[in-house]
Amino acid sequence: MFKKLIAESAAKSPWLFHINAGSCNGCDIELVSVLTPRYDAERLGFKLAGSPRHADIVVVTGPVTTQSLPRVLRAISQVPEPRCIVTMGSCPQSGNVFRGSYSVAGPLSKYVHVDVDVAGCAPKPEAVIDGLALATKILKEKRGR
Amino acid sequence: MSIILSALQYLGYILIFPGFLFCFLGGMLLCGIDRKIVAKMQKRVGPPVLQPFYDFFKLCGKETIVPAAAAKTTFLMAPLVGLAALVVIQLFIPVFHFSAFSGMADIIVILYLLLIPALSIIIGGAASGSPYAGVGLSREMVTVIACELPLVLVLLAVAKTVGSALGTGLCFSLTEIAAYQAANGSLILRASMIPAALAFLLVIPGETGNHPFDAAEAETEICEGMLAEYSGPPLAVYKLSHAIKMLTLTSLFVALFLGGIGGKIVNILALLGLTGGAAGALGVLLGAVVLFLLCALITIVCISLVHAATARLKIEQIFKYYWTVVSALALMSLVLAWYGL
Repeated sequence: MFKKLIAESAAKSPWLFHINAGSCNGCDIELVSVLTPRYDAERLGFKLAGSPRHADIVVVTGPVTTQSLPRVLRAISQVPEPRCIVTMGSCPQSGNVFRGSYSVAGPLSKYVHVDVDVAGCAPKPEAVIDGLALATKILKEKRGR
Repeated sequence: MSIILSALQYLGYILIFPGFLFCFLGGMLLCGIDRKIVAKMQKRVGPPVLQPFYDFFKLCGKETIVPAAAAKTTFLMAPLVGLAALVVIQLFIPVFHFSAFSGMADIIVILYLLLIPALSIIIGGAASGSPYAGVGLSREMVTVIACELPLVLVLLAVAKTVGSALGTGLCFSLTEIAAYQAANGSLILRASMIPAALAFLLVIPGETGNHPFDAAEAETEICEGMLAEYSGPPLAVYKLSHAIKMLTLTSLFVALFLGGIGGKIVNILALLGLTGGAAGALGVLLGAVVLFLLCALITIVCISLVHAATARLKIEQIFKYYWTVVSALALMSLVLAWYGL
């Protein structure tokens, strides 16, 4: 019963940690807009955590530059299990317009397992909430195991 | 036999009514109400009132990471010490005319016990070996010192008012303060006590580390300070402690300033013609409900509304604010009480 309670709670209280891996700030602003009164992701339990150790969902924005790659991987490794990794915007998914640049090490999926990709440049807040809701389902499944 | 019964009774006190279960449910609900009201004030839908419960159980199911630089035992035990201290305070605070451990502790013990949760979080943060925790704990220490002066002045003012009325000089016993208020009406109705009550209301968000006074846990600047390295169940215990601290401080406010309501509850039961053991149990239950409702009201006034309306203060602003404005309010009451007004 206790296990079920924890699995149910895992889906209702996903805390986000946001990593900027060389993003142009467009996606970062859109992620913040998801938490503003208009879209209010907190009604679903989403909360921005200050420290990666508190997070359940890691949101990565930006094309993962060579400078940021080791830091991104280190921050992700600090997130306790069960965790979910969501890429936001086209950059961490494919490199977007920065693809092929000498300073871009992405896409992120070359280095870690990515659970959800939210494409767009920048994605609409509705799409971000949709992606995050999908991530909470994955979190619950991971917890249930 | 009677020893076993009284032992069971005390165990019930510690685990269920003024103790752990009441603290857990009451504190978490207060926290949920606070988040909902803040959301409403910002024109958001807001999380469900049960959100803190979801957060707590989710954190219980997460992995606990102990950093390589941390002192493991201290790091993991510190949250439990803080939680235990808060539950103990709740046992000593009378619920109107009912108090679980009456006469065993007075205001001064509560004043010392109130420091332990802050100390536990400071020790836990220091043991985590994180530089963010270092910044956070130095700020937390300043916040604690800032709150302590007005808090002591408020408690002295209350002790002097009740003490001079009873002719005992200073009265530090919470049960006597509760009995005095049940007989003579709540202290907040006296003009001389209104500045002290205001000062106490301003101390509550500082003591709990709520919004304008949360420089120690600033999540956008220093990664939640002392909690930066905590994850999983120990973090859940800290979140629970924070919630219980809201309940403890608001119920202390009720005990110090709004104690007269307890007498009215007894009157209601007497009017309904209830006497004996059933009335006693019902009185305690009713007292608990009224206490929680009053706590929720105070939380909304002094934590939620202030949270929604203000931005985070810098640590030196917090210190200056408490030692000038809030202390002056408390001192005003103390002087008035000293001259018997």
